[in-house]
Formats: sequence, C-alpha cells, structure tokens
Amino acid sequence: MPQLVTVKVSRPDRRPIRFWIPVLPLALVLFPVVVLVVLAAIVACVVFRIGVVRALGAAWRVISALPGARFDIEHCRTAVLVAIR
Amino acid sequence: MTEQRKDILDMLAAGKITAEEAEQLIAALERDHAPATASHDARPKGKVKYLRVVVDATDNGEPSRVNVRVPLQLLRAGVRLAALVPPQALVKANASLSDSGVPIDLTQLKPEQLEALVEHLDEVTVEVDSPDATVRVFCE
Repeated sequence: MPQLVTVKVSRPDRRPIRFWIPVLPLALVLFPVVVLVVLAAIVACVVFRIGVVRALGAAWRVISALPGARFDIEHCRTAVLVAIR
Repeated sequence: MTEQRKDILDMLAAGKITAEEAEQLIAALERDHAPATASHDARPKGKVKYLRVVVDATDNGEPSRVNVRVPLQLLRAGVRLAALVPPQALVKANASLSDSGVPIDLTQLKPEQLEALVEHLDEVTVEVDSPDATVRVFCE
C-alpha cells in the first residue's frame, strides 16, 4: 500500500511548492468518505452485475501496486512531479 | 523446429505465401532470434519492475519533457480491473472508438491475452525519433 505521495510544482519566478502527503493518516482522517466510496462501489457492482469481491480485490490490487509510480511532466519552465512511495 | 518456423512452412504448404516470402520470413526469424536470446541472457526475467515512458519534445520552441515510471505490477492489476468491465459498457466504448476513427473491438481483448502482453513487456523497447520529439518506451 502507498505510504507517501510527493507532489512538487515548480513555476517560473515562484518558489517551488512541495507536498508530502502521508497516505495512511490521510485515509484515517477521510475514513467516512472512504466508507461512502466503498459503499457506492458496492452498489455500482450490484447494479452492473459485477462480482463485488472480485471488484474490490482488483481495486485493492491496483492501490497496492501504486508504490514506485512516478509522473514527471515539464513544459517550458513549469514542472509537476508526482511520486508515490 | 520452432513453432514459428513450422507456421511459416505450413503457410507455404497451404499456398498462402510464396517460397520467396517464406524465405524472407525465416531469415527475419533467424535475425530476431539471436538478439532476443542475447537480451534474455543480459536481462534475466523477474528483474524488470517498471515501465518507463520518456518523451522529449519542443512545443513552439519551448522544451517539454514527460517522464513516467509505472510499476508493471500496476499494469497487471489494471488488466484485472479492466476484466471486470461489463460487456454492455464495452459495446458502448466500441461504438465511441469507431466514431473516433479507431475501430477496435474491445470485446475481443481477453484478460489472459492482456496479461501475456504485460508479461512480455520487459522485452519491449520502442523508440520514436522525429524532428520535434523523441519518445522512448522501455522497461527497467
């Protein structure tokens, strides 16, 4: 499971902004929202006749495979970096 | 005799290709076989963990760079998630793709085929060079 998401935004003539987002504490703070999202996903699975366990398992696999992903985009002198650890 | 060589000879026997075409295909097969074997030795399977996409481009004279690193495990998980897409959604997606000029039938894509594709991505290197941009897709 991802532990830390780093977001860095660099813009010309401004100081670069860097965020370190700890995923677990954030997930705990947003727990009610997470529960709602999971419930909505379960309802969607039932409506579209998709196996709920399979769908949740696949979604969990995607989340747990996220560490190591890195997206680095630079255009002109603006740059955005998102790194998941 | 390898499976591919047998396929070529079968096509020749069935009259689907000429003897010259068969010779060219077998020559290409032999050419491809040597580097493939060498790359297997140089980069053992299981070591490759990430798919990298690197794009260097100039847009109106301004440099742009995209550097993406995606874990192969994420691609595998994505394939499993995509396998859950209901058929009616695939039909709608097919219609939209067809309208956009991309006539791909997504219902023909089977999860096991996609998984096999991801499995063999470690051997793929794509390099595109144009005056304005360079694109490299590879695994590391």
